[in-house]
Amino acid sequence: MNNLTRTSLVKRLVRTQAFSLLILLVAMILIFTALAALKGARFFTAKTFIGILQDIAVPGFLAIGAGCLIVSGNIDLSQATVGALSGIVIAIGISWWGLPWYVAVLIAMLFAAAIGLINAILINEIGMAPFIATMAMAAVIRALMQLLATDSGGALQSTVTFTDPALTTIGGYNIIGDIPMTIVIVVVAFIIYGIILKKTELGRSIYMIGGNRRAARLSGINSKGIIYFLYINCSVLGGISGLAYTARAKQGSLQALSGDQFTGLTAAILGGISFAGGSGGMGGAFLGLVVLKTFYKGMLIVGSSTYLTLVLSGTLLILALSLDVWSQRRQRKRLGI
Amino acid sequence: MELEQKAAQTVEKKVRTLEFKNISKAFPGVQALDDVSFTAVGGKVLALLGENGAGKSTLLKILSGDIPCDEGQILLDGEPLALTSPNKAINLGISVIYQERQLIPSMSVMENIFLGALPVRSGFVSYKELKAQTQAIIDEFGLPIDPTVPVAALSIAHQQMVEIMKAYRRNSPVIAFDEPTAPLTDKEIDILFGLIKRLKEEGKIIIYVSHRMKEIFQITDEIVVLKDGKFVTKLNTSETNEQELIKAMVGRDIGDTYANLSRNDKYGDVVLEVNNLTTYAVHDVSFKLRKGEVIGLAGLVGAGRTEVVRAIFGADPIISGEIKLEGKPVKFKTPRDAINAGIALCPEDRKEQGLILWAPITHNVSLPVLKKLKKFLFLDAKAEDDLTLGAIQQYSIKTPTLDKKVLELSGGNQQKVILGRWTSKLVTTKVLILDEPTKGIDVGTKAEIYQMVCDFAKQGIGVIFISSELTEVINVADTIYVMHNGRITGSVKREEATEENVLALAMLE
Repeated sequence: MNNLTRTSLVKRLVRTQAFSLLILLVAMILIFTALAALKGARFFTAKTFIGILQDIAVPGFLAIGAGCLIVSGNIDLSQATVGALSGIVIAIGISWWGLPWYVAVLIAMLFAAAIGLINAILINEIGMAPFIATMAMAAVIRALMQLLATDSGGALQSTVTFTDPALTTIGGYNIIGDIPMTIVIVVVAFIIYGIILKKTELGRSIYMIGGNRRAARLSGINSKGIIYFLYINCSVLGGISGLAYTARAKQGSLQALSGDQFTGLTAAILGGISFAGGSGGMGGAFLGLVVLKTFYKGMLIVGSSTYLTLVLSGTLLILALSLDVWSQRRQRKRLGI
Repeated sequence: MELEQKAAQTVEKKVRTLEFKNISKAFPGVQALDDVSFTAVGGKVLALLGENGAGKSTLLKILSGDIPCDEGQILLDGEPLALTSPNKAINLGISVIYQERQLIPSMSVMENIFLGALPVRSGFVSYKELKAQTQAIIDEFGLPIDPTVPVAALSIAHQQMVEIMKAYRRNSPVIAFDEPTAPLTDKEIDILFGLIKRLKEEGKIIIYVSHRMKEIFQITDEIVVLKDGKFVTKLNTSETNEQELIKAMVGRDIGDTYANLSRNDKYGDVVLEVNNLTTYAVHDVSFKLRKGEVIGLAGLVGAGRTEVVRAIFGADPIISGEIKLEGKPVKFKTPRDAINAGIALCPEDRKEQGLILWAPITHNVSLPVLKKLKKFLFLDAKAEDDLTLGAIQQYSIKTPTLDKKVLELSGGNQQKVILGRWTSKLVTTKVLILDEPTKGIDVGTKAEIYQMVCDFAKQGIGVIFISSELTEVINVADTIYVMHNGRITGSVKREEATEENVLALAMLE
């Protein structure tokens, strides 16, 4: 009895979904390399992998926010729209209102935080279902963006360009060759959030709420407060990804991040963060994102059309969700609960 | 449909049989059913009797196609049934009527009864015909129910009648009832028994699950007793008595369990005082709990016992009244406040409210003391392991590793994990509330838990012990408070308590 221990680290690692994802990723790289060779193109090049890293930078922030929220058994469908809004606010702030870039960024982040707060109030206090509240919020944000992007002449600007050397230099800054600095920030953020989730009281509480909110509350966990934090956190991370996009593109756009609407979500689910809550982690979410973006890149290189790729990636989301639900059901059935 | 008609024709000719043959079913950590075989026959009501965890509900779940069995088969008139889904089971003629209604509340009585077989005329549902057919069934049963009102508008008893009529309409040869009388009044029970007698006279095979001895003798013809997943005996109701049944259910004399408890006999000061507590569900509840005392809250389901402790614990709002902890008035807005003040609650529904099932034992034990496990910014994994190991050793929790998921443990071990959570060296529990701590737990572990309760008292903890099992609560608690309809109707000391005098208080009209 005295020598009872935890399951060994190796065993635990092998059991995670992240481990299966790693295998999937390797398989994917091999298949795309072969397919590309058949078509006379090349997949396995430095350019491809740098491209994948570039593609990860912006939605990386989305995946972190979405991942933490899903671990707690919640969801935010307005996150990517918040990103687009924050881009618009920054661009308009600088070019129309003449604000210094950091003030514009601050206002954008306050917008994002306020939206997260409202989401949390709707869910915590009014008792709305998270996906309904945040979907409605997304619709409001989209309209709000158009309102903001209507210029003094009454014309709707679908993109607002701006010139601000400081911001665009930071956003466009590359380390070694074409690798954007943003990717470094994203990876560091993944690591920090990973440590928060697995090693701190806050992180543990998030898992416990996701596992069983009623039990967590009856055991003294401040679940309401933590849910407030998570929605604001998710929204602000959405805002940051909008900032990363805008700083690099040198413009705010109504369409920004529209292709990444579900990217954060898909990456998290692919990475083993279950919709049932209480499981998965940041490592999985990161790998999920890498798999997703490798898939995009690979399809592009083997010559699939953008739309076909979008259909297939949507299919991937459905597949990941089915797998999630299916494995939950199988386990429940086995245990008779 | 064809099958149903055939079924209807054969009813007249010969006695139908439902045979359970060598049924086994295992869940992680527990053999829920172990090679169970018996036969139920048409025209008789067969009672399934056994303690919590004996395997009755698992058997019903298998019969209704809800879960598959590991081994064995169920045969209707000698034909093996492929009970692969609830829908399949219904089509094969099995109707299981659960405590939780399987009705659609917003739809009318007639739509519910004919769900899946609505009469259709030229492509549209014929509501005229639907109403007429439903009315015919209602009349046959002689019930005052309007076929057009939504089910949600009916009383619980009438909803149950609708469920029975649904089974009747399907012409199911097998109808099983799971604790049907729990939510019913005496008068409604009479109506229900009238219906069951009718179904019996028509030659249906009726299986009746209930804990209430009185009813078993009133309505059933045969009794099958299960214990720990095994078939114990099959008896004719007319040839047995309550004592014999209890002995068969428990398998040994339960008197010893209680006599052998090593109890606490030194009380300290009053630790918890409740004065005139009133919430939406309880009225004017007052009692005092001393250090080292075990008080029991007895009463029927719905009497308000759980609501009293939830209010004390800060989980439900208080309308009026006063709670004093160690002489000081306290007001808890959330369970967190109560926990910080030294009150702990093991809630009635272990899986829904107590445990994080998918999380490891370690996380479940450390849940309320995360703050104390911090080293700098981070949780101290070593300290958490020590804490968990302490609980595992103290309560001899059976597990291969520290971080086994709680859902893979048996019910008894799960309950011990919750006890470990509230009695670890890092929590200072002054008042421990145990709401139905032995529900669904095998007899052996139950005895262990009774001793634990006494041990808590010896450590000077004030314990509130809630149980629906009368024998248990009157034998474990020092003082028994009996509740009825949200009020305390009386209290008795253990020495004076009998099942009769407690039950009389619990059923006070």
